[in-house]
Amino acid sequence: MDFAFDQTQLAFKEAIIKFAQKELNDNIETRDKKAEFNWDGWKKLAQQNIFSLPVPEEYGGINADILTTILTMEGLGYGCEDNGLIFAVNSHMWSCIIPILEFATEEQKRKYLPKLCRGELIGGHAMTEPEAGSDAFSIRTTAVKQNGKYILNGEKTFITNAPIADLLIVFAVTDKSRGFAGISAFIVEKGKPGLTVSQDMDKMGLRTCPLGYLVFENCEVPEENILGREGAGAAIFNSEMEWERSCLFACHLGVMERLMEKSIDYAKQRRQFGKPIGKFQSVSHKIADMKVKIELSKLMLYKIGWLKMQGKKGTMEAAIAKLFVGEAFVKTAMDTIQIYGANGYMTEYNIERNLRDAMASTIYSGSSEIQKNIIASWLGL
Amino acid sequence: MNVREELEKFILNELAVDQDIHSIAPDEDLLMQGIIDSMGILKLSSFMEEKFGVKVTDMDMVPENFQNIESLTEFISSRM
Repeated sequence: MDFAFDQTQLAFKEAIIKFAQKELNDNIETRDKKAEFNWDGWKKLAQQNIFSLPVPEEYGGINADILTTILTMEGLGYGCEDNGLIFAVNSHMWSCIIPILEFATEEQKRKYLPKLCRGELIGGHAMTEPEAGSDAFSIRTTAVKQNGKYILNGEKTFITNAPIADLLIVFAVTDKSRGFAGISAFIVEKGKPGLTVSQDMDKMGLRTCPLGYLVFENCEVPEENILGREGAGAAIFNSEMEWERSCLFACHLGVMERLMEKSIDYAKQRRQFGKPIGKFQSVSHKIADMKVKIELSKLMLYKIGWLKMQGKKGTMEAAIAKLFVGEAFVKTAMDTIQIYGANGYMTEYNIERNLRDAMASTIYSGSSEIQKNIIASWLGL
Repeated sequence: MNVREELEKFILNELAVDQDIHSIAPDEDLLMQGIIDSMGILKLSSFMEEKFGVKVTDMDMVPENFQNIESLTEFISSRM
């Protein structure tokens, strides 16, 4: 394995960090309280070519390789303190742009990708249903082909970006008898008759990222809006999950690095019992544990990037990374609060929000338990 | 190397371990029978890449190619 970064890649990461620190962090506490999406930040991210990173130039992208992309997302996580905005960006990229890039027809790519890259369209995907969470392929939403159209009926919930999305990749059953192989994906534009989109759902963390539910009632989708072919839904879903489990979690790695640096600074300047609290092993060991988690997270995430660059599959590696980074993110955020003590519990210190934001990382993109199932399955169990 | 036999062996030993079957007919529907599930398709793809040196893209992982041992064999032959 070789994933040493060159100067260009490192400079790119540095540029993103500086951009994010300067442009994306204003009024984060207020936006978090009010659960407001940062529209201005979204536009700036588009201008910075973040959305177009993995997209070839002919579709409006900048064609960055995946290791550069992972490194950039890590930089974004480090520099941007608005974890909700980051979450919205990742959903847009890995569960809308990537499936279109990998599975769409030439016509669909030319129609949607340039606008998605420029941030003029906001994307998301709709898989989860009230009765189909971890058991993702047990969805009940149906798509019946009739007179050159698909008629969609069903409900989707916990859909990232739903209240603001212009475009959704919607998964539905086209052939119930075939189980997971009977699931197909559709590109659904907002405003379709028969599609109801909820307002933002209130939640513990990631409050600046809009989340909602969808109801399809005889919603007609043109036949040409199928993504891939009938029955390709599982392949599309698995593909985007592999991207999400590496690139989204690279952002979390960046946040962990920032929290560790904050913890070190605080442990050096905060004095108790006549010396800096960092001189107490109960504190310094927590920070040492953070460093271990960060370094191991890097190795796993960069390995996935390297595997993908070699054209190899990384299903189990992505599950390991997702499991490890998700759990590490929560623990790091929790330990940062513990090191800051009562100050860390106070909103003004800008620490506690990270724990609220981190909590869902062991749930979304397949819970920690599901990742263990994948790993066990890969081991023949 | 007999592709069909190798596929059957892998599927029986790795994907159908909890099913009481000892052989698979070439035209037996692996999807309808639940022999290949959503994880199985990924494992089988990796096996095919390693064993037969063929590239299986995300686009290739569709029911038509993974329906039965016959369609899998045809897919591999077309890529070798």
